[in-house]
Amino acid sequence: MPPLKSLETEFPILDSNFRSFCASHGILTVEDFLLHDLHALAAHAEEQPSSERLRQGVDQVFAIIDTIHQPWINGMELLEDAQKNKRALSTGCERIDSLLNGGLHEGHVTELAGPSSSGKTQLCLLAAANVAYQHKGGVTYVDTGNSFSPKRIAHFIGQVDQKVLRTVMNSIVCHRVYDIFTLLAMLHELEFRRKSQMCKGDGGVSLLIIDSISSLITPILGSNSPQGRALMISTGSLLKKLAHEYNIAVLVTNHTVGGNRGTIKPALGESWKTIPHTRLLFFRVCGSNTCDVSILKHPYVASGKAAKFTIHD
Amino acid sequence: MEVGRLPISATQKGKLISAGYTSLSSLSSLSPSLLSRDLSITETEALVIIKHASRGGSPSRSPAINGAQTAWEMLHEEELFTRITTSSADLDNILGGGISCKEVTEIGGIPGIGKTQIGIQLAVNVQIPVDCRGLGGKAIYIDTEGSFMVERVLQIAKACAEEMSANYDFSRNGLPSGQVLMQPQDFLENIICYRVCSYTEQIALVNSLDKIICAHREVKIVIIDSITFHFRQDFDDMALRTRLLSGMALKLMKLAKKFSLAVVLLNQAANKYTEGSLQLSLALGDSWSHACTNRIILYWNGNERYAYIDKSPSLRSRSAPYAVTSSGIRNLVSDSKRMKMM
Repeated sequence: MPPLKSLETEFPILDSNFRSFCASHGILTVEDFLLHDLHALAAHAEEQPSSERLRQGVDQVFAIIDTIHQPWINGMELLEDAQKNKRALSTGCERIDSLLNGGLHEGHVTELAGPSSSGKTQLCLLAAANVAYQHKGGVTYVDTGNSFSPKRIAHFIGQVDQKVLRTVMNSIVCHRVYDIFTLLAMLHELEFRRKSQMCKGDGGVSLLIIDSISSLITPILGSNSPQGRALMISTGSLLKKLAHEYNIAVLVTNHTVGGNRGTIKPALGESWKTIPHTRLLFFRVCGSNTCDVSILKHPYVASGKAAKFTIHD
Repeated sequence: MEVGRLPISATQKGKLISAGYTSLSSLSSLSPSLLSRDLSITETEALVIIKHASRGGSPSRSPAINGAQTAWEMLHEEELFTRITTSSADLDNILGGGISCKEVTEIGGIPGIGKTQIGIQLAVNVQIPVDCRGLGGKAIYIDTEGSFMVERVLQIAKACAEEMSANYDFSRNGLPSGQVLMQPQDFLENIICYRVCSYTEQIALVNSLDKIICAHREVKIVIIDSITFHFRQDFDDMALRTRLLSGMALKLMKLAKKFSLAVVLLNQAANKYTEGSLQLSLALGDSWSHACTNRIILYWNGNERYAYIDKSPSLRSRSAPYAVTSSGIRNLVSDSKRMKMM
């Protein structure tokens, strides 16, 4: 929220007289305005010689604030929105779809956590291929470890006509991102594009995959400054906002660290736990291609449910 | 808050927020002198902040979007890339043709298994000219343990040069006139070797690799032997170690993608306790294991050396035997076995 003096060009009623009145009460920005006792301010405004203009100024600031906050929505509208706009995208693996009660839900952030080589990237590639082919939706794949393999995607799509393959693979866009600031810039760009596309209709991204978000956050987390955690939380809330407002399913991968007494737990700590709606823990049975998936957190499926799946060639 | 996502220092962000600038739009139309007076910083710093803010506010200039590629384009690009051979056909087989460029490959194993030998072989093989189905590039070898022996490199280079002249003798007519086959000394000239003695030197070197490779564009492989050595002992602050390692991993990934070169990291072995049993894995912990694209673990099976693909997005998990001979890494022939210690 900007300082009051920068609003003068747009709203001439907030002139220097108004501003000096506010400054005498310690109000320099719109934020300070909200924190102040407005009755006391109105009473003081009455005592001033130009009280009419000051009152108009106060009303103007209120009007500005009204445009900033999100509108109120009631339960029926939310339910309608959920049933109409937010479908479940199949991942391509039946067992995981039934575990997740349909698949990856648009509007939700799903996290895959697991030790190295437990099948997370394979599931991401499979979901990307499936959404592009079956659901004909756009896929944005953010790759931080150079592990996006177009050969594997082509394999998952299967034997199809070259033209079809070309259309499907053209709807999967891969971004190589190596630091958190580039990721934030990219997400804001995505939001900007979707905002300008909303009027034009459908045909945007339905699945956003970030593989892996932990490799972008680990270098900045944990030092003495709180900047790392602040960036992590703001990235998380931006992902949730994108998921909800533009009906995108967001899939992120995380690695694991050792917990107490030899158990493994997902990395990124306690603050990150609140960000994803659904969390899955992967575990590879050593020496084979079978992986165990269990639910750590889900909006409406019980935690602890597990399934097995195999990685084929 | 929008200013939170600008790549500036935390103190500058704090100053911006306490002065009331919380959104990018409030910054973009400001003059540097006004901002520097408000925040009591120098005008150059104010100019940098405003530049970042205006770049963030006009999203169409975001570099990340412009560097994006669709999967179809990448599929065709991948087919054009030559891989670096390891001189052992079995090993090349499980690697899908060899070490691929644009990826970070981690190779690790117990001492004596042949990691440095593989590193040296790759540094020589990357120089095989394009006419002989190689890459014709240079190599950067970062030595942290002091195991880079020049005499051994010369030996391997001699063997490679001999093999090249033997295999491509009959195609000599096809070579353009004036092309001279490489001499062993030429191989040595194309390996740029760095010796690092502490972890700060290592991180500083990785940070400056970008500039170094811009000056030597023919470099096609960077080998670090080994990345673990300076991080494994005497590190008190484990959280700092994790941050440093993951930062280094991201920089190496970026390097591999930007210059289309292969990055090979040699790692030491460690034991991991999973499911009630000890298993062989690589050092530096769980968070480092995500830093590479592919991981190959080398191990002994009886008297023979084997390589196992532990992690790869596109390759199957398979093992292949290989042997370390006087001419370098070769296919396993049944009598090249482990020396029995008497």
